[in-house]
Amino acid sequence: MKLIATASQTVGPFFSIGLAHLHQDSTTINSADAQTITGTVADGDGQPIPDCVLEFWTSNSFARVPTSVDGKYSVNIETGAAMCEVLLFMRGLLKPVYTRLYLSEAAKARDEAASKSVPQDRAGTLIARQGSAAKQFVWNVKMQGDNETVFFDY
Amino acid sequence: MEDREARKGTQPPYLFPGYVSTQKRAPLKPLILMPETCSSLFSPVFGHDFVRPTDADLTRQHAGEPLGERIIVSGKVVDEDGHPVRGALIELWQANAAGRYHHQLDTHAAPLDPNFTGCGRLLTDDQGAYSFVSIKPGAYPWRNHDNAWRPAHIHFSLFGAGILSRLVTQMYFPGDPLFARDPIFNSIPDEAARTRLVSTFDWRTTKPEFALGYRFDIVLRGSKSTPMEISHL
Repeated sequence: MKLIATASQTVGPFFSIGLAHLHQDSTTINSADAQTITGTVADGDGQPIPDCVLEFWTSNSFARVPTSVDGKYSVNIETGAAMCEVLLFMRGLLKPVYTRLYLSEAAKARDEAASKSVPQDRAGTLIARQGSAAKQFVWNVKMQGDNETVFFDY
Repeated sequence: MEDREARKGTQPPYLFPGYVSTQKRAPLKPLILMPETCSSLFSPVFGHDFVRPTDADLTRQHAGEPLGERIIVSGKVVDEDGHPVRGALIELWQANAAGRYHHQLDTHAAPLDPNFTGCGRLLTDDQGAYSFVSIKPGAYPWRNHDNAWRPAHIHFSLFGAGILSRLVTQMYFPGDPLFARDPIFNSIPDEAARTRLVSTFDWRTTKPEFALGYRFDIVLRGSKSTPMEISHL
């Protein structure tokens, strides 16, 4: 008989006490070697979420960043990574949401499972748009409502 | 599919209107099932140089000792097959004995304790076991509904084998009179699953003239034989 996984509970509003030591410090990352993704996390009313923590998992790296008071985040991931698995934690989420972020259409097309199962009209929410410079990307997350980001069951 | 059935009701939903903050933050569109694919098996490794011994004793991080009832919390971290999860990073945070977090946004009119930050971290050993020393956190009010109080709890964050083993949860204390009215605790539909978040008083780890022992065992998603296959989960 298999065991049942322990139930999830929210990180609440004060997670930085316990989680901040793993927050990526943008001043210590050599951004010349990294790709930078920035964006805003917003709720169903479009209001920015200031107490969210995001984790970006690539095939061999991990980065954790919180949102700022205006709901914005910025993360550096290794050059060469074309897809990240992303977890978002926040007050009001009893368990994290899980999604995938592609840095190009081509990267998404290569991930056949996701291409097949995501409705065409929502697929755009998983693709970062090119920012103003090379290796700069913008990806916004909408928790619910219009343009709600695609989240995966897991 | 069998596992999916067994898991039913053992995790909270996203939308749980009694917990008001879920109302504008829970996804409302159907979640997408990704069949027959594997999620990344990568998991960050945190070495012993990352975790200092004082990180597992929340009463020894300042010049003096914090006020409150000293506790020793211990347990075992296993996967769904019961195998120990070794070297797993556990991150902890909690309110002080008065029910106040060391956080600028906590406005509860209870005193801060200059000798308590409420932050800890540690790695599980070769048997998947962990143990840390702290003080029992106080209950505290929140503005979710009229006269809303959170039962005393300690936040746990854990890394297991891969992203889908990631777990953030809360450990509660036995016999708390606030359980019945707490929407966060009661968001878990299955009573047995809910009860597993309540630690048990542990006479064996209670240390004479020092601290009360509490036991809290944790099961992370996944197993060695079927690593993180989404269709299986």
